Amino acid sequence: MLKLRWMTASVCAVLAVSTALFAAPDAFAQAEPPKPAQIVVNDSGGAMQNAMRSAFYNEFEKRYGIKVVNTSPVDLGKLQAMVKSNNIEWAVTEIGGQDAILAERSNLFEPLDLKIIDLSRYPKHLQDRKFVFPKGVYSTVMGYRSDAFKEGNRPKSWADFWDTKKFPGPRTMQNAPVDNLEFALLADGVAADKLYPIDLDRAFKKLDQIKKDVAVWWTTGAQSAQVLIDKEAVLGTAWNGRYYVLIDQGAPITIEWNQGAMKESSFGIPKGAKDAYWGQKFLALVSEAKAQGIYANIIGYPGLNLDATKFTDAKLIPFLPTSLENFPKQWWTDLAWWADNGPAVTEQWSRWMLQK
Amino acid sequence: MTAAAVTAARVPPDTAGRWWRGHRADTLLALVAAPAMVFLFALYLLPVGLLLQQSVEGGSLAPYEKALTDGLYVGVLFDTMLIAAYVSVACLLLGYPVAYFLTAAPAPWPTIGIVFILLPFWTSILVRTYGWMILLGRNGIINRLLLETGLISTPFPMLNNTTGVLIGMTHVLLPYMVFPIYAVMRRVDLGLLSAAEGLGAPGWQIFRRVYFPLTLPGVLAGVTLVYILSIGFFITPALLGGGKVIMIAVLIEMQVRQFLNWSFAAALSAVLLTATLLVYLVLRRLFRSDLQWS
Repeated sequence: MLKLRWMTASVCAVLAVSTALFAAPDAFAQAEPPKPAQIVVNDSGGAMQNAMRSAFYNEFEKRYGIKVVNTSPVDLGKLQAMVKSNNIEWAVTEIGGQDAILAERSNLFEPLDLKIIDLSRYPKHLQDRKFVFPKGVYSTVMGYRSDAFKEGNRPKSWADFWDTKKFPGPRTMQNAPVDNLEFALLADGVAADKLYPIDLDRAFKKLDQIKKDVAVWWTTGAQSAQVLIDKEAVLGTAWNGRYYVLIDQGAPITIEWNQGAMKESSFGIPKGAKDAYWGQKFLALVSEAKAQGIYANIIGYPGLNLDATKFTDAKLIPFLPTSLENFPKQWWTDLAWWADNGPAVTEQWSRWMLQK
Repeated sequence: MTAAAVTAARVPPDTAGRWWRGHRADTLLALVAAPAMVFLFALYLLPVGLLLQQSVEGGSLAPYEKALTDGLYVGVLFDTMLIAAYVSVACLLLGYPVAYFLTAAPAPWPTIGIVFILLPFWTSILVRTYGWMILLGRNGIINRLLLETGLISTPFPMLNNTTGVLIGMTHVLLPYMVFPIYAVMRRVDLGLLSAAEGLGAPGWQIFRRVYFPLTLPGVLAGVTLVYILSIGFFITPALLGGGKVIMIAVLIEMQVRQFLNWSFAAALSAVLLTATLLVYLVLRRLFRSDLQWS
């Protein structure tokens, strides 16, 4: 009996070992589809693309021997067209915060494979992402020409931005309601944690006061900072990296982080993408601390891996929205509110813009 | 040409020989044009059809109701057509003399002129638009020059308003006006002008009653091209208008790319297409009656 039991046990052990030996590589081979010659990653182009090339694309090519081809710009409409016609060119696409929510609701993304993508070193509230990969943080901040306002008398809040007597000169703001409505409410004395749901009447009434002083309603990111260089405006708003790139080149621009509007930037894998697996692998690479450190050093946009700061240049820290000093001064944009209300509010914005 | 092909199919076989002798030229033309027609059908008519279909998706006309009654969209459509009209007139006033110069000037001036018109034509619209920003800005080259010479005391606002948009669009679209007019002008029989002169007509009369009517087909082609291209303009108004000039293409793009409301975008496009066709018909009628009158 004992012998029999021993035999059974040993047979079981042999079976188990052989299963482990043969079945495991087999399962592995099933999970890893054949390597394509290239994958397409769609991004915002320009300076962002250069930074991603150095930080992510080159490393991916080296690691897997798959060429990364870039396209741009980021385009929610094109994403929907691709998914609807089942003719998907991209393995991964970058996508803005508010658009990402809309894309997820419209069922345009593959689910993230969290067995491949490791989010364990991300802030707790981001670890259970289903579809939208949290790429990083950017902030819409106030910036001004350093030569326009004397030290000691510089705008420090949106109330100051609205104060054209104390801080004279033309302004520039984005030609979109997002951020601007919140800035108007902050200027009108609303607390940052009481912004949503946005009181539209109050916000537009406050915007009426500044309208004639806004020389340029900017459309592109590059334009927002260029307007200050060209002296078309002396005080404005922009995404923080746009100011950083020019400051780094010696432009006389100062960033005021107080009351800046933080948002998440994201990546997603289009639903039905044929290279979806390699898209997951690509996002896994993007989630790594070292790659995010390299990326931030070039462009000034930090990733969300908490270890990334170890690889970030010290001179960059004052320009990161997530630095210890800057972070607590800002607030988070409620992207879900904007995804719900964007179309109607943008229509109202256009109407307001056409009023003389 | 396709009409000829269609009739061919309906003709009974016994009269085919006679029919063929009468319509040989037409049929050959239809055959020559067929590849282009197939091309236009596949890449233009079919997509437009699909777009129109999308505008009535779900059997509701609500998108059209909104596009035709909402003050925002009607107002912006009207503004767009007004700006397109201004640009067409500006291009005509600037382009007509240039086309005449290209026809009449002795060699090598026409060649040099054509090179000057074509060079910017080959440059990216974005680059040219940023070029205008440097020239027209508050702190731009023109304003600095005027300020330094003491001609003005405060910068003249030429950028980030309608003026900037009109200047930029006229610049981009001028070649589309010059070349059709130039093509027609080259074919004008100059003997007719001599004849008018010989009959004692003064210079102005010769231009008004002989030369200008003869160049009208070119003017019609130029104005149509410029007008239709203007209506769809997008990046130039956004950058040179400082966000204060809204064109209908911007609103359509917003629906397509930001809000994924394609049925409304399709309805707006259909309204724009109809408005454009109407303007085209009116223009053609106008120029036709002019021709008959002369």
